[in-house]
Amino acid sequence: MNLMQIHNLTVQFGGLRAVNDLSLDVRRGELLCLLGPNGAGKSTTLDLICGKTRATSGQIVFEGQDITWLKEYKRARCGIGRKFQVPSVFRELTVLENIELARSRNPGILDSLRVFRTPIRGRVREVLQIVGLIDMVDTRAGNLSHGQTQWLEIAMLLAQDSKLILMDEPTAGMTIQETLQTAAIFNSLKGDHTIIVVEHDMQFVRQVAERVIVMNQGSLLAEGTIAGIEADPRVKAVYLGH
Amino acid sequence: MNRNNRADYLGHIVFILAILLGVPALLGFDGFELNTFARYLSLAIVASALALSWGTAGILNLGQAATFGIGAYVMAMHLKLVASAGNPDGLPDFMGWNNVTSLPWFWLPFQSLTVTLILGLALPALLAWAMGIFMFRARITGVFVAIITLAFLVALQLWFIEEQRFTGGQNGLTGLAPLDLFGWSVDTYSLGFYYLVAGCLIAALVIGSLIVRSKVGLVLRAIREDSQRVRYFGYDVARYETFVFSTSAAIAGWAGMLYALVLEFASPTYIGVAFSLAIVIWVAVGGRESLVGAAVGAILVNLAEGRLSDMFVESWLLILGVMFILFVLFLPRGLYGLLRQGFGRIARLREGQGPKDARAQESAQ
Ligand SMILES: Nc1ncnc2c1ncn2[C@@H]1O[C@H](COP(=O)(O)OP(=O)(O)O)[C@@H](O)[C@H]1O
Ligand SMILES: [Mg+2]
Repeated sequence: MNLMQIHNLTVQFGGLRAVNDLSLDVRRGELLCLLGPNGAGKSTTLDLICGKTRATSGQIVFEGQDITWLKEYKRARCGIGRKFQVPSVFRELTVLENIELARSRNPGILDSLRVFRTPIRGRVREVLQIVGLIDMVDTRAGNLSHGQTQWLEIAMLLAQDSKLILMDEPTAGMTIQETLQTAAIFNSLKGDHTIIVVEHDMQFVRQVAERVIVMNQGSLLAEGTIAGIEADPRVKAVYLGH
Repeated sequence: MNRNNRADYLGHIVFILAILLGVPALLGFDGFELNTFARYLSLAIVASALALSWGTAGILNLGQAATFGIGAYVMAMHLKLVASAGNPDGLPDFMGWNNVTSLPWFWLPFQSLTVTLILGLALPALLAWAMGIFMFRARITGVFVAIITLAFLVALQLWFIEEQRFTGGQNGLTGLAPLDLFGWSVDTYSLGFYYLVAGCLIAALVIGSLIVRSKVGLVLRAIREDSQRVRYFGYDVARYETFVFSTSAAIAGWAGMLYALVLEFASPTYIGVAFSLAIVIWVAVGGRESLVGAAVGAILVNLAEGRLSDMFVESWLLILGVMFILFVLFLPRGLYGLLRQGFGRIARLREGQGPKDARAQESAQ
């Protein structure tokens, strides 16, 4: 059963087609890895799905609804969450406030006017424990280390509890230990959540990926299991780094 | 709750006690002095209204005087009609001088006090709502909001001066009747009136604080930092911005109504650029992150103006400008930021952290 279908998606930046006639099915509950050399259009593909960038042509269908022209916040309400390549948390807010903000099941003003505190229990507690920030709830996010900032953003996405989670290079800047931990979190999310991860760390990809898609120059180059992809000569040709 | 909130809480109580007990006692319950201070308190309301949108959401409304002025005119129109009750047709004197023969339809609602009080809040709020939809849907932010609101202010003031037949033009609305507040004939030089204004200020601060401390305040602070990121969590940013912008306008209108009562006239200078910029300066001095801080800023600057402008008649505006520049350069978070820093330092020293450590944390903030 497909959660999302992308049909012939294209976006043009001036003379450059950052994403070129991309078609893709995303199955419910799977973890899909997006690989490709720098500039292949991976981040742009995620931008198109979450609404940061508008498509030039093509269509994105999420749970049967055409979301190609929907505003960002409406896509988020449909159940699409995004982690950015450059960690983007709210530096002026505390760790707990960041989590409360992300916990946005009722994003209307009238609902928000009635919320005055964030009790540290239930899912909030769980999420904070998973990422190891439970003892730092009152710390300003701007005072966190780079690794902790990555964790906080992951925690925010867990708190947001989206059906589809888009992760752009979540392990960048993490130690091997932290990367393993992230892999464990992702594996526990599979099934309930659908995840698309852009990642360079092949060690990590081997740990989590069920299905891998390789992009090159905005187009889909290859698709398959990690073993199949690694053996594919076309992939080797464009993607020598690994 | 962390310690900063506790310090805030303490500060609020001190402020409320000072206004309710300290100030009247210090002024010796003198009617004239109380009236002057009531004027400062009504200005404190409009300052905290600006802090609500600027400090919380980062929306710098340089046209705050517009909504303030509308509130003032709304109240003055009611009092003018009451004062003109004996005239033929109940027509205000200045209309007669301008060859207006019957009361224009848009003056009619102001015959009722209840309608006047509602419109004093609703007109500024509706106007801000319309502007907010236009600006925030188009994702206009930062300095462009400041320019648009300033341009609107200038246009509105010109219109009020131009339409002399209906607004009293350059003279404004003078010769007003005293307010009859549901049977209470309001003497603006009385302790009762002082408490009316003080009560309004406290009520406005409570309403504002509830918004700031609720999740709406959290979303607004997040919008101030990175509005785009907020959208990916499903919040309709334009709606939140419009909400705080019009709430702020309603509170400014409320302040304007009180101001017209205190001064017993409404003048187009209330809708002026100089006045609007002065509000920004008060808020910058007090600290835009805190509604009470902004209110204190308004009171202190106006107190200083009352005491010093006699001595420096020519140079008061210059002094005000220099003060603003000094605050922006050396105390960007205003007096509130200074106090908060002090509290933080004391609290950390008590916890036994070395001063070096405390300084490192502060500079990181
Ligand atoms: N907003 C934009 N305007 C112009 N060019 C862009 C924009 N965003 C991305 N690009 C270009 O599109 C190409 C794909 O970028 P990106 O999706 O970030 O690649 P990847 O994430 O795969 O490394 C790059 O050549 C990049 O310079
Ligand atoms: Mg990228």
